[in-house]
Amino acid sequence: MAITRRDFVKQAGLGAVGLGLGVSMLDGLGRTASAFADQIGKYKDHNLVFVSFDAVQAAHVHAFGYSQPITPTIDTVARQGYKFDKTISVSSWTVPASMTWFTGVYPCEHKLVNKFSVYAPPVEKIAKMRELAPSIVTLAEILKKNGYATGGFTGDAGVSAIFGYGLGFDTYVDNVKFGGLDQSVPKAIDWLKQNKDKKFFMFLHGYDAHGQHVPAGGYDYRFVDKGYDYRYKGTAAEQEALREEGLAKGKLDMRAADVQFWRAVYDEKINREDAIFKHFLDTVEALGLTGKTLFVLTSDHGTECFEHQRIDHGYTLYNELIHVPLIVKLPGGGSGVVGHQVSSIDVMPTVLELLDVPLADNIKKQLRGRSLIADMQGGGGPEDAYSETDYRLYTFKRSLLAKDGWKYIHTLENNGRELYYIPDDPGEMTNLVAKEPRRAYEMEQRVFGFFKSIGSDLTAHRWETGMNPVYDYQAKIYEAKLREEHKL
Amino acid sequence: MFKMHRWGFRAGMALVVMLWTLAGAEVGMADPAPDGQGKRYENTNVILVTLQCLRPDHMGMNGYRRDTTPNLDQIAKSSVLFENSIAQTNLTPVAMMAALTGQYPRVNGLISFDVTKDSVASRTMPEILKYYGYTTAAVVTSPEFIMRFDSQSGKTAVNLRDVFSRGYDEYLWPRRHVGRSMRVVPTESLDWLDQHKDKKFFLWIAAGSLHPPYAATVPEPDKSMYDPPHYTPFWRNYFPVSGNEGGPDDPTIDILLRIWNMDYYQGFKPVHHLTPEDVAYITARYDAGVHYLDKFIGELRDRLKKDGLDKNTLVIFYSIHGKMLGEGGVFVNYDIYENVLKNLLMLRFPGDQYAGRRIDDLAQGIDILPTLLSYLDIPSEAEAQGKDLMPLVKGEAGATGNEYVYIDRMPWWEHWMSRFFLEFKFQDPLKRNHPPSEDQAIEAYEKMLKQEFPMDAYPPGDIAIRSKKWKLIVRTNPRLLEKVAWPGFITGKPVHIPDVELYDIVSDPLQAHNVVAEHPRVATELKAKLREWNNAVELRQAPYHKSGEKRYIIPYP
Repeated sequence: MAITRRDFVKQAGLGAVGLGLGVSMLDGLGRTASAFADQIGKYKDHNLVFVSFDAVQAAHVHAFGYSQPITPTIDTVARQGYKFDKTISVSSWTVPASMTWFTGVYPCEHKLVNKFSVYAPPVEKIAKMRELAPSIVTLAEILKKNGYATGGFTGDAGVSAIFGYGLGFDTYVDNVKFGGLDQSVPKAIDWLKQNKDKKFFMFLHGYDAHGQHVPAGGYDYRFVDKGYDYRYKGTAAEQEALREEGLAKGKLDMRAADVQFWRAVYDEKINREDAIFKHFLDTVEALGLTGKTLFVLTSDHGTECFEHQRIDHGYTLYNELIHVPLIVKLPGGGSGVVGHQVSSIDVMPTVLELLDVPLADNIKKQLRGRSLIADMQGGGGPEDAYSETDYRLYTFKRSLLAKDGWKYIHTLENNGRELYYIPDDPGEMTNLVAKEPRRAYEMEQRVFGFFKSIGSDLTAHRWETGMNPVYDYQAKIYEAKLREEHKL
Repeated sequence: MFKMHRWGFRAGMALVVMLWTLAGAEVGMADPAPDGQGKRYENTNVILVTLQCLRPDHMGMNGYRRDTTPNLDQIAKSSVLFENSIAQTNLTPVAMMAALTGQYPRVNGLISFDVTKDSVASRTMPEILKYYGYTTAAVVTSPEFIMRFDSQSGKTAVNLRDVFSRGYDEYLWPRRHVGRSMRVVPTESLDWLDQHKDKKFFLWIAAGSLHPPYAATVPEPDKSMYDPPHYTPFWRNYFPVSGNEGGPDDPTIDILLRIWNMDYYQGFKPVHHLTPEDVAYITARYDAGVHYLDKFIGELRDRLKKDGLDKNTLVIFYSIHGKMLGEGGVFVNYDIYENVLKNLLMLRFPGDQYAGRRIDDLAQGIDILPTLLSYLDIPSEAEAQGKDLMPLVKGEAGATGNEYVYIDRMPWWEHWMSRFFLEFKFQDPLKRNHPPSEDQAIEAYEKMLKQEFPMDAYPPGDIAIRSKKWKLIVRTNPRLLEKVAWPGFITGKPVHIPDVELYDIVSDPLQAHNVVAEHPRVATELKAKLREWNNAVELRQAPYHKSGEKRYIIPYP
């Protein structure tokens, strides 16, 4: 019996590449065989609801260790499903990070590394994945091809259809910039009611926790200290000013009480988002869809609340920005905790395997990550996690959070090198490069080697803040655009 | 002996067997494949010996008519020799920084003689070795590695915190002169070895003694050992221009750069046509310098053996670039001539591993760093652009060197002249060594160069590609080069610089016949390769000065 289990895990662990073989063997053995009763099965033709709680840091979710029980709904789903305690996002802001769920490739491959592929006014060009990376196929496109009704209900901005997020979706709602679940859930529910008898894939996204979102009707400051003097009110304008000041000056000067205030406001937003999500889940249940639907709950990135003297996200790759919640809830039940490190690059292969979708060769080749089914069954193991950000051309950073707990961050524009040992220094406060120059050097070589292996040779360019075009593909677009404008 | 007596013959045999086994183990240790246990960087010392200006064809082992290099020849028998090693460029600091960083000059940023300590951001060989616990030191007698023109003060001074000194625990200059030349044989390095033999070390021995003034610091009788009998240097009959670095009989750079097409120029006129005896004298002094430096190499070899370092020390002999000794009538490394670009690259591995291997694939300066790191089991420096030559050294099946090597003739000769050679003439009365009749013209020439090469403008350069058979040179601004060319200026005859030059360097090593018209297909092919390389280099080009380019941060959201 034990051997059978191990074999099964091994097979499942083959991931996307071995999927074809694994599936046929399973089918041969028979899905109803009791030997698999305690195993994760395949959910062919089940629904998928993929939820992004934008900007929710893992450390602010109770189920992921936050002291305050502000997320009862998410916590419940975490208990009912599989919780991945250490999920590292491939990036620290929405545009690059979210597309990785839907393509299974790193941002430097899907090329949505900024909202503009060229930004050198008057020449501006919106980044469009289909133009920048024409061969990349999205999850919605695959599922649509497999007969799914597809609907996206989002808060626009970073996941706007214009970048390519709408590819493969029959319906894609992105009409409210920085909209929260309060905007997207009602539309999602309407669509659900129309499509409940079909098999469907829904992408549900809300900016509720994001700095540029303020809850409808304003805050009630439920978690703010009684004695706070309200120097700040928590408005989007305040948050924006602080964000830009932090970027311009490198760090902010804030009172401890203000930091606490922003954290309390962040908690209120998450708490309210959790409540709206409960309403959504209740509706799914009322429609009788819970047992037919697979849920993925996650976030694209975290939010920094002054951990490194700044507010917002995108500029750095510290853990407060790349450690995200991830929960997979299966239609047939089953729960567990995966304690070791995985990456958001693994989400798409996992989902595709769970939904038992046959994969064409080009898609198998496309997927960089691995299926986490083995990990959900107690197998698998930790993996190295690579992240990147080219945030608004302010910075170009690449990082490796190795499975042994060492983290290296390389800032390309100034060859900035940072090394941390997370078990001893979870806040990433003490840069150990001078103390451990050799380890830093070796991790740097791994980072450069890894990105080169996925087609992004970090040594092929000069990285300069505000320098555009940065990449060859940008240069080509830039030239074409210039030519076009000269003709006009 | 005592033990043998006490336990008798059998025990003695056992001891012998044990010693044998130990000896075997020791040999085994020097062998390759430290599979899993033990990386080479844990116990391998590295010595980089740079023999600036040594031409391989003036070494006995390469069939030279004089026995100039008996010690290097002997070391070569236990070393790996790259027979087609090509310098990255014709000027010392630029060529050397390429070797130390594994990056082409424009990528590492050292592209002119007026650089500051911070102008190279790339990691260098000693910096990486320090990460791996190496004690690092350099003993330097090449002024190119400690003297720098300071663009602010307009002076050239010794600076032991020069750009080349990064990554060294000790950066040593012997402060020893012979006459006014500091280009002495760096014997102090032997003392350093004695003092640090118990440490794991990287030592750069930078010998500058082969550079003109030839043999200026070599004592008699070695200095004149190859001199033609009863010879008096021709330049003694003319206005003394020797400069302050050498004595009146020493062939100094100031004299040599007045010789073009075998004529010696003063007052912009040929005043003397060099006789075979003149050439023989200059060559004799060069060879005497080589022979004297080779004696030191012998001492170094013996010291390594005496200190027990020969079993665990990798020694890299590298000559950075060669020199012209009258070929084509020229005596300076003005351009990227074959005799300037061909250099010595010889690796003597610990325990004489790979002894006697000869590799005729093309190697270039930037390959040294990746090769060294590979041998030491250190992860390769991702930013290095050179090729790991260890597979070739090991003789792995299918291993190849470079199909092409690339040369940045950077900066132009006239650029460094404008930065300190000519500058000196008017600032330091000691260096005002030209005939009075040239005074006005030289001042005007200097002014013109300063105008053409503004202080913060990117220095001009040419680019070239070399395969085993061909060398193609593309002049980036031939008209400007014609305008500023030193040979044109000093000879008073305008020079014609072709836009593109193609040489069959096998049949025409002196680059006498530009065959670009005869081989248009070859030229087109090589030009395309060269352009491709140049584009890649430009993308990575290190910033030279702050450009006025407008920068944009993408607005939010």
